Amino acid sequence: MGVVRFFGQRLARLAVSLVAVSIITFGLLQLAPGNFADIQRVTSGATSIAGTGTESMLAETQARYGDDTPVVQQYLTFMKGVVTWDMGPSYRYAGRAVEDIIAAAFPVSATLAVLAVLLALLIAVPAGVFAAMRQNSKADHATMFGVTLGHALPNYLIAAFLILIFTAFLGWFPSSGWERPEHVFLPVVALALGPAAVLARYVRSSMLETLREEYVTAAMAKGGPYRTVVVRHALRNSLIPLVTVVGPLLAALMTGTVFVEALFRIPGLGYYAATAAASRDMPLLMGTVLFFALIIMVVNLLVDLTYGILDPRIRAEGGWTSSRLRKVSTQQV
Amino acid sequence: MTMTQAPSGSSSGTPGGPLLRVRDLHTEFRSEDGAALRAVDGVSFDVEPGRALAIVGESGSGKSVSMRSVLRLLPRTGRVTAGEVWFGGQDLLRLPERQMRRIRGRDIGMVFQNAMEAMNPTLTLERQLTEHLLWHGVCTKSEARERAVRALGDVGIPEPERRIRVYPFQLSGGMRQRAMIAMAIVTRPALLIADEPTTAVDVTIQRQILDLLAGLKDQGTGIIMVTHDLGVARYFCDDSVVMYAGRVVERAPTRELLSRPRHPYAAGLLGSSVELGSRDRPLHPIPGNPPDLASRPRGCPFHPRCDRAVLPRCQDEQELIQIGGARAVACWRAEDGHDDQ
Ligand SMILES: Nc1ncnc2c1ncn2[C@@H]1O[C@H](COP(=O)(O)OP(=O)(O)OP(=O)(O)O)[C@@H](O)[C@H]1O
Ligand SMILES: [Mg+2]
Repeated sequence: MGVVRFFGQRLARLAVSLVAVSIITFGLLQLAPGNFADIQRVTSGATSIAGTGTESMLAETQARYGDDTPVVQQYLTFMKGVVTWDMGPSYRYAGRAVEDIIAAAFPVSATLAVLAVLLALLIAVPAGVFAAMRQNSKADHATMFGVTLGHALPNYLIAAFLILIFTAFLGWFPSSGWERPEHVFLPVVALALGPAAVLARYVRSSMLETLREEYVTAAMAKGGPYRTVVVRHALRNSLIPLVTVVGPLLAALMTGTVFVEALFRIPGLGYYAATAAASRDMPLLMGTVLFFALIIMVVNLLVDLTYGILDPRIRAEGGWTSSRLRKVSTQQV
Repeated sequence: MTMTQAPSGSSSGTPGGPLLRVRDLHTEFRSEDGAALRAVDGVSFDVEPGRALAIVGESGSGKSVSMRSVLRLLPRTGRVTAGEVWFGGQDLLRLPERQMRRIRGRDIGMVFQNAMEAMNPTLTLERQLTEHLLWHGVCTKSEARERAVRALGDVGIPEPERRIRVYPFQLSGGMRQRAMIAMAIVTRPALLIADEPTTAVDVTIQRQILDLLAGLKDQGTGIIMVTHDLGVARYFCDDSVVMYAGRVVERAPTRELLSRPRHPYAAGLLGSSVELGSRDRPLHPIPGNPPDLASRPRGCPFHPRCDRAVLPRCQDEQELIQIGGARAVACWRAEDGHDDQ
């Protein structure tokens, strides 16, 4: 019962939020100076307008949204397209429907994001646990220094270094493209290092806190080997709060890896969203923004679910709406 | 007639000898600014097999820290700086960690003071009651489960077969306390250290737990019972140790201690006890507060609160001195033999 109600509430909230996001985005686009035709004219020079197909595009748009239709009517038309998964053609990418672009680009970004988060966790969890188990030792300080370094560099700089080393000097990996498996390596590493640093610090402090818990001492008092106690009694409990960090991180990577996607020429969502914004491609921009919002909300929902699965206290008897959980989800909104 | 306490260092484990022999235990905590806080300051006591020792004293007197020192389970900031802990012919303080681990949980069981915090919230009782049986290779997994169910039944938890599958937070406070006890006794340790095992439970359950522990005692288990409750000590413990500010101030058979306390602090503790006070005699709380560990008074730590203190003699160190058979008191005035209770 608790779970059903919990889901009902969350889904309703999700729908309302999406409508709000769409109105705000649409409103801002109306206020933004310039439209697609203007931008095209400026960037490609007045002479070539005819050649770019802009005119025909404008005609197509007018057919869809009407010539002098009021803004509200345009909005409703667009939203109808969203609901029916038929958002019409993009301005910038002539001849391609917005939903097709999203459908093609999302798996790319999602793959990138999931792999990057997995790699980040693979680095962060052992590093954080290692540092926590040797708190204030040289090993701890060294690990945390390395981690801070990873955090200090923005991912596009890391990407540039990686290309320099692995492509230019060593020639091990291609620097751009997204067709073969080896294309995945460099961008994933570039995306993972920063989050790995954040997560490692998080794991360390969470672990230190858990290691001070009385039940860890009690497990030691039963004769548990230190490592076993750390893994069985402390690790799980200190990783539970990590879920609340990993979720938003995953959402962020799925939606906003513009620099890295551009640098490695990866046809991901971030790349399309960025070009859509720059060229005032209203349908594509609206489509991607709404899609991002959807992803973030769905991920948050999943985070709450995972939390319930990992922590029996929340799972118990309708506890999915417990105060602890509510606290967690409001932190992310 | 008067002599200083028994010489230290002789090993236990000889037939008839004590099960646990703690000598001159010192434990310090280092604070952020590097100052050392002496939480345990020269504690000695013996535990005989088949007998129960009560450790009583106000909050902060170092009871729990002493118990953790015995098992070498202090937080990072804490350290045993001196002393000996003889168990099974070995000084536990000098044992390699690997061997120490085999003793913890198997030969010495520990019941923690706060069962709410001492049980892992995300593991079922089954996991927490069987894991040490498996760590120590006591039995197979299915036998471990049977033993755990039996232990839960022994401590008076109804429907142990069902309860073993639940998480600690699904139990009431009293049940959780009992599950904690089951966790400690499931391995049948030779020595059981119980830090306030009956504080969180109601009187009938308390009685049930004490009877269970009495059964273990009859089978030869040595028990240390840390308690605030002198009634529990009287009901259950053969011997008692009274601690004050990290020191033992009096050590005696419980019956003798309760009928004629010799140390002024022990007398004060008795006089302020709700459990033992008779209705026609008013309670006399001890005035003042226990000393701050950082600014411990010179000599007897109790003298600033003591109505029998005589300066400057009470500012000298007070050795624990033997009075009669099994009693020892750390107060020079105890020799006067006055009993004005
Ligand atoms: N981790 C710690 N760091 C610093 N000081 C500590 C620590 N643990 C205990 N102490 C100090 O050691 C002293 C003894 O504490 P202990 O827990 O042994 O008291 P206790 O006799 O068990 O009291 P209670 O009856 O309240 O359980 C206290 O003054 C306490 O402040
Ligand atoms: Mg205590």
